[in-house]
Amino acid sequence: MKRIVLVAFGLWSLSVAAWAHHGFETEYDNNKVVEATGVVSKIEWTNPHMHLYVDVTDKGGKVTTYNLELTSPNAIQRLGWNKNDLVAGERVTFKAHAGKVVEERAALDSLVKVGAPNQEIFKGQRPDNLGSN
Amino acid sequence: MRNALVLSGTMAVLTVCLLVEPRAQQAGANANANEVVVGTLAGKPVIQPVRRGVDYRDTISPTDAAMSGPVPRLPDGHPDLTGPWEGGGSDNDIGVEGGLKPGELDALLLPAARTLKAQRSKAIYGEPYIYCLPMSVPRINPYPWKFVMGYTGKGLQYIYQLHENGDAGAHRVIYMDGRPHPKPETLIATWWGHSVGHWEGDTLVIDTIGYNDKFWFDAPGTPHSEKLHTIERWTRISYGTLVNDFTIDDPDTFSRQVQLRFVARIVKPGVELMEYICAENNQIGIAGGYLNKTDASPIGIGGGR
Repeated sequence: MKRIVLVAFGLWSLSVAAWAHHGFETEYDNNKVVEATGVVSKIEWTNPHMHLYVDVTDKGGKVTTYNLELTSPNAIQRLGWNKNDLVAGERVTFKAHAGKVVEERAALDSLVKVGAPNQEIFKGQRPDNLGSN
Repeated sequence: MRNALVLSGTMAVLTVCLLVEPRAQQAGANANANEVVVGTLAGKPVIQPVRRGVDYRDTISPTDAAMSGPVPRLPDGHPDLTGPWEGGGSDNDIGVEGGLKPGELDALLLPAARTLKAQRSKAIYGEPYIYCLPMSVPRINPYPWKFVMGYTGKGLQYIYQLHENGDAGAHRVIYMDGRPHPKPETLIATWWGHSVGHWEGDTLVIDTIGYNDKFWFDAPGTPHSEKLHTIERWTRISYGTLVNDFTIDDPDTFSRQVQLRFVARIVKPGVELMEYICAENNQIGIAGGYLNKTDASPIGIGGGR
């Protein structure tokens, strides 16, 4: 269910420079990408950034809760999403950049519902999308 | 089919040219592929990047004809500077964003200021902004901000500058009632300093002293001292463009006065400032394992003098 993929994200890492003042490179590992499917346990529509908590169960039954950092709730709302677009209990697949030290704290890259794998929802901390704030 | 594509492509190019080129010709400027002349100020072209990173994400495009519409005015005849706007200040490199060449501003830093900037650049967790403290002048981020024109029975008495994100809940007040600055020896240094404003024709001139030395001019930590004195000259040159000609006067930091130009753009219709309580759930430092570590910011928050 869970897999860690080491990927050299050339173009992506170039754009990470715009993150400097929120310390992306000190917080998150540019080359450590987490891709997993799990159940949303909590969504925080909070400042400065939204946080999405997803429970991921591995083959042995162990549950890991990922704390995914998004961009601000204001930016998400301006893109047209609201609190009804994703609620606790829904199954999602996400891709994120793991925390450098605390791996399960990750910067969301992309997110889809299991039932709609081609429809990306919300926006993560990808500076090419939204920037660092 | 091919002819139709050629025709539509030609029409698209012509449309863009009609929107952009007349102003470029009028101003006599040669904008490169990512730049467009959005108007003139004092007879000289004002050039804007069409896109710059994540800045201006909620604004009207500078190639949109609506940008060049007339300047709205208030009942007393002054330009309406309300906005909301995005841009118009520094963020990642105050010198470059202000129109200087890379490294040009750093060359003006006095030795102690240069050392301080070098220390700050190595201590990302020292930046006050990431702890939800104010950005102060002239910083902006990719969120809207506005001037609130404060009229009373005596006319325009105050202008408040409000940032959706970046003022940490504070408000900046610019006194427009003719009062002078307090005497410097009585002034307590603050994040936003003491600002007085007046009109010079259609330009709002804001003079500010009394800043603290804690906030950073940009992400790499370009510093200033408590002797910082800034002059902002805000001119709305069209419906969509607000120019900020910005003077830094800080003899304890720079070897001479610095002149910069920033340009703000009007946001799209319907974009308003939203609530943003930054300290609500700020988890900065946890994923990187820096929280509560003494080496997270060896210079402390701000890295002041």
